[in-house]
Amino acid sequence: MSDNHVSRRRVLATGAAGVGTALAGCGGGSGSGGSGGDTIKIGVLEDRSGNFSLVGTPKWRASKLAVEEINDNGGIMGQQIELFDPDPQSDNQRYQQLTERLIQQEDVDALWAGYSSATREAIRPIIDREDQLYFYTTQYEGGVADKNVFCMGSTARQQLGSVVPYMIENFGTDIYTIAADYNFGQLSADWVKVIAQENGASVNNEEFIPLSNQNFGSTISNIQEADPDFVMAILVGNNHSSFWNQRTSAGLDIPMGTSTVMAQSYQHKRLEAPALQDVYGGFNYMEEIPTDRNEDYVSRYYDRFPDAGYANQESVNNYFSMYMYKEAVEEAGTTDQEAVRDVLEGGMEVTGDQSPEGDISLQGPVHHMTHNMRVMRCDAEHNITVEDERQIPEQFLSETVGIDLSGEDSELERQFTPTEYYDAAGE
Amino acid sequence: MMDVTLPPQLERIGNKLNGPNTLGNSRAFWAAFAVGMVVMAAYPLVQGSYAAGQFSLFLAYGLLALSLSLIWGYTGILSFGQVAFFGIAGYTYAIVSLNLGGPFGQTIALPVAVAAATLSAFILGYFMFYGGVQDVYVAILTLVVTLVLETFMAQTAGSEWSIGTVALGGFNGIPGIRNFALGVEGASISLSGSGFYWFVLGVLLAAYLGARALVNSKYGYALVAIREDAERTAMLGYNVKRVKLAVFTLSGALAGFGGVLYATWGNYMDPSVFSLVFATIPIVWVTLGGRESLLGAIIGTIIIERLRLWFSVNASEFAIVFVGVILMTTVLLVPRGILPAIKDGYVFFSKHGLRDGLERGRTTIQTRLQAKLASLGIGGSETPPSSEVVRE
Amino acid sequence: MTSGFGATGLLTPLIIGDVLGALDSIGVPVVQLLQMADSIAFITLAAIGLTVIFGMMGVINLAHGEFIMMGAYITTLSVNVVGLPLPVAMVLGALGTAAFGAIIERTIVRRLYGRLLDSMIVTFGLGLILTQGTRIIFGNSLQSIGTPFGEVPGYTYSAYRVLLLFAAIAVLGGAYLVFTRTEFGIQARATIQDAETARAMGVDTDRMYTVTFAIGSGLAGLTGALYAPSATIVPGMGQSFLVESFVTVVTGGSTVLLGTTLAGGVLGTIDAIFSNLYGNFIGQIALLLTAIIVIRLLPDGLTGLAHTVRDKLGERQ
Repeated sequence: MSDNHVSRRRVLATGAAGVGTALAGCGGGSGSGGSGGDTIKIGVLEDRSGNFSLVGTPKWRASKLAVEEINDNGGIMGQQIELFDPDPQSDNQRYQQLTERLIQQEDVDALWAGYSSATREAIRPIIDREDQLYFYTTQYEGGVADKNVFCMGSTARQQLGSVVPYMIENFGTDIYTIAADYNFGQLSADWVKVIAQENGASVNNEEFIPLSNQNFGSTISNIQEADPDFVMAILVGNNHSSFWNQRTSAGLDIPMGTSTVMAQSYQHKRLEAPALQDVYGGFNYMEEIPTDRNEDYVSRYYDRFPDAGYANQESVNNYFSMYMYKEAVEEAGTTDQEAVRDVLEGGMEVTGDQSPEGDISLQGPVHHMTHNMRVMRCDAEHNITVEDERQIPEQFLSETVGIDLSGEDSELERQFTPTEYYDAAGE
Repeated sequence: MMDVTLPPQLERIGNKLNGPNTLGNSRAFWAAFAVGMVVMAAYPLVQGSYAAGQFSLFLAYGLLALSLSLIWGYTGILSFGQVAFFGIAGYTYAIVSLNLGGPFGQTIALPVAVAAATLSAFILGYFMFYGGVQDVYVAILTLVVTLVLETFMAQTAGSEWSIGTVALGGFNGIPGIRNFALGVEGASISLSGSGFYWFVLGVLLAAYLGARALVNSKYGYALVAIREDAERTAMLGYNVKRVKLAVFTLSGALAGFGGVLYATWGNYMDPSVFSLVFATIPIVWVTLGGRESLLGAIIGTIIIERLRLWFSVNASEFAIVFVGVILMTTVLLVPRGILPAIKDGYVFFSKHGLRDGLERGRTTIQTRLQAKLASLGIGGSETPPSSEVVRE
Repeated sequence: MTSGFGATGLLTPLIIGDVLGALDSIGVPVVQLLQMADSIAFITLAAIGLTVIFGMMGVINLAHGEFIMMGAYITTLSVNVVGLPLPVAMVLGALGTAAFGAIIERTIVRRLYGRLLDSMIVTFGLGLILTQGTRIIFGNSLQSIGTPFGEVPGYTYSAYRVLLLFAAIAVLGGAYLVFTRTEFGIQARATIQDAETARAMGVDTDRMYTVTFAIGSGLAGLTGALYAPSATIVPGMGQSFLVESFVTVVTGGSTVLLGTTLAGGVLGTIDAIFSNLYGNFIGQIALLLTAIIVIRLLPDGLTGLAHTVRDKLGERQ
C-alpha cells in the first residue's frame, strides 16, 4: 500500500525540482536578438512609485505621449517604436538591474532613464561598459562629460544664470542662499556665488538643509535677522515643500529666487495661495508658458492623460528628446548607436511642435542643450507670469572647461565641478 | 535504506555541521543540498553570463541575510544595522581600491573593508551591550544610526569631502568601482558575469557552512540560550554581554563582505544602502525564509528579490503593496518562515504518510477555522475571547 | 487664512505677540524661545502616539509614520473635498485614525502580544501597504490646506506653530488625565501591569488592549492632523517624523507620560540650540548622540532617572 515514509529519492527529486524551478524563472527569456528587427526598441525607466514618483510619473507620461504620436505618424524610418518601460520604483539597485536587462535582453536602441543624479551615476558604469546611447532628461547640477550620455535638461548654471542676474537687477546685491544639503544643492549654491560675483553681487549667508528636514522655523528667523535683498532657495523634495507655507505664515516677505520650486513639483498648484507669493524661478519650461505651441502641447498632454497632475519641466525634456532622437536616426539612416551619436554630435535643432518651450538646439560637442530660459514669477494668487526670456547656452563645459566630445575628448566619462575652475565657488 | 559508512573525516565534518540548531541534518537533506549546489553551479552554463551576473547580486544579499539570521534568528537581537556595516564596507572598499588603484589596491581593499565593518560592529555592539541597552532598544538604536549615516553621507557632496583622491560624492555616491579583482599587477584575476557568480556562490557556501558549524557548536548553544532567556543564561555562568558582542561583530563582518561584493557588482556605492527601505528589506527576507534557519534566510532572500524584480517589470505600482502583503501574511500564518514550515511539513508527512497526513491536515485546518470564526462572533459557540491573546 | 477659527484667528496672534513683546522687554531671548517651542512641540507630538502603544502594550508600531499620514490625509480631504471647518476636520482625522487602529488591533496586532519583534515586522508590512496604497488611490500629492492664524506681529514666526506647543501640552495633559483619573485609565494601567489579575477582577482586558491601541493610533492621527496645515501632503510624509519619534521613545524610557514629557523637553531644546548654532544636520546628530548617551548612562531612559531621583528624595525623608 502507500509508503510509510517519504522515500529518499522523492526528497532528492523535490529538492532538485524546487531549486531548478526557482532558477529557471530567473534570467528571463533567451538572449536577445539583434536590433535589426522591424521595430525600433526604446527603453524608458522613470519612477512611478517610491520617493520620486511625483516628478517621475510626468516624465514617463511625456515619453509615452511622444512615442505614441510618432507611431501614429508612421514611426521612425517607417518602423514602429516598441517601448519598454518597467517601473524602477525610485530604487537605484532596481535601475541597475533594469538597465542591464534593457540593454542585454531587450537590446534597446536608445535609453531614457532616471530622475536624480544619483540614479544617473548608478547606471553610468553600465552605460559606459555597454556603450549604450543614453538620454538624461532632468535639470541637474551640470558638468557631465560622457561620450554615451546626452543631457537634455537645463544645467544649474543655465537656470541660475537666468534668474540670479534678474533678481540682482531688481532687488539688490545682498544674497542669502538656502539649499538642499546634497550634491545638487551644494553645487547650485556654488554657481550662485559664481554668478553673483560676475554680476557685482555677493552671497553673504548660506544655509544647507538636509533633505529629510521639514521644520524651517530657525531658518526663517535667521533669514529675517540677516534681512538680505533677496533669497535664493534651492530646495528639493517633499519635505522642503513645507518651507513655503511656513515662511508665508511667519510673515517673511523677502522675494525669493529658485531653480527647483514650481516647475518640477508644482508647489504652486498643491499649496494654498499665497504660499508661493513673489517667488521667481529660472526654468526652461513651465506648463503655464503662454505660447500657442505650448498651449497646444498641454492640451494634447491632458487629453492623453486626463488624470495627470502637471506637466513638469523635466517631462518636456523627455518629450522633445524623443523627437530629436527620431530626427537623428532618420538623418543617420540607421539605429546603429554610434552612427546616431555622430549625427547628434554635429548639432541638432529642435523646433516647432516638437519643442513646447520654444526653438532650442543641441550643442553637439558637449552633449548639452541651449535652452530657451525664462524667469517666471508666481504672484499672490499663484498665477504665473513670464518676466524675462532669452536663449542661454551651456557654458561651463563648452567654454570654461573647453571640451569636445566629438573629437579629442571622445573617451571622457566624468563630471566636472565649478570648484575646480572658479575661486568664488570654493569658499 | 542505503547504509553507507562514511570515511571518518567526513563523519567528523558531518558531526560539526549537524546538530539541533539547524533544520536539515539528515542524509536526505545533504543529498538534496548537494543536488541544489550542482544546479546552482550549473546555472551560468545554462542561462548565460548576463543572467548569472544579475543573480549574483541576490547571492551577495544572501550574506547580508546570513548575518541577520545569526544575530536575530539565533541570538534574538533584532538589528536594523546590518546594512550599516554592509554600506560601511562597500564605501571603504571603494575608497581604498580607487585610491590605491590596480588589482593590488583591490586585493588590499577587501580585508580593509571587512575590517572596517567588523570594527564598526564591535564599537556599536560594545556600546549597546555593555551599556545594558535592552534588546528592543537595540532595534531602534541600530535603525536610527543607519538613518543618520544616510543623512550624513548624503551631504558629503563637494570636493572637501574626499579621502585621498576619492570624493565621497554625497547623494550621488561613488561611481567607477572596478569589478572584483585579486592579485597584483600582471598576475591578477578580475571577475564579472559567470566568474563573479561562481566566486560569490563559493563565498556564500563557505559562509553558510561556517555558520552551520558555529551554531551547532557549544557556542551556538550559548546563542540560542541567550535568545530563549538571557537572564537564565547569565546565571548559568555565561558572559552574555561578551557572547552578544562577539556574534554582533561576526555578523558585522559577514555583512561587510556582502557589502564589498555589492560594490563590485554594481560598480557603485551611494547612501541609499543606508535608507529606511534598504535597512528593513533584510528583515523581510529573513522573516519569509525563516530566521531561525540559515538556509531559510538565504532562500528567502533569493525568493523575495526575484519577486521584487519580477513585480517591478510586470506590476509596477503594486509591487510594494505585494511585498507588504507577503510580509504580513508570512508573520501571521507562517510565523517561523518558509523553510521551517517545509521542514515541519516534511516531518509531518514522513510520520504519517501522504494520504493520512493530508487527512489530518484537513481536519486541523477545519477545526482551527471554526474556532477562529467563533472567536470573531460568527457561527455560534462562545469561546472565551482572551484565550487567544498570549500565544508564545 | 483664519479658516474656521473666526475671531480667535485674529486675536490669537495679537495676544501671542503681546506676550512675547513683554518677555522681550525684560530680556528673554524670544526668538530662541520660539524655536525651542517649535522643536519641543514637534518632537513631543511626533512621539506621543508611538509611546502610548509602546509604553502600554510593548508593541513597536513601525506604521506609526503612516498613522500620522492618515490623520493628515483625512483632515486635508475633509477640508478640501467635504468643506468642513479645520477644527472639525482635525478631530475627524484623529478619530478616523483611532478607528482604523482599533480594527488593526482586533484583526492583526492582537495575535502578536508577547512576540514583540514579530509585531514590528507586521506593522512594517502594514506601513508599506498604507503608503503605496495611498499613492495608488490618492495620487502622489494632495492639495494642502493653508496655515491658519498668520504671523505673530513683530516676530517672523507662524503663530500656528507656536500654538502647537500648547497643543502638545494639552495632549500630554489630556493623556495624563485619561490614564490616571478615569475608570478606563485605571483599568488600562492595571491590564498593562498584570493582565491575569486584572481579568480576574473583571476587567475586559481584550477591550483594554483595543482601546489603548486605538488611543495611540488616534494620537498619531492627531499629530498628522495638527501638522497638516503646515506640511505637504504626500504619501511618504510620515517618514519625516520617524527619527524624532524613535529617538524620543528610546530617550524617554518606559513610562508614557513622564518619559515623553521629559524626553520631548530635553530633545527639543537640544535640537533647537544645535540647529540654530550649527545647522539642521548637526541638530539631528545632536539628537542621536543625546539618545545614545542617555541610553548608555540610563538604561531605562529619563524615566529611570526620574524614578531614581524620586527614590533618592524619598530616602532622605
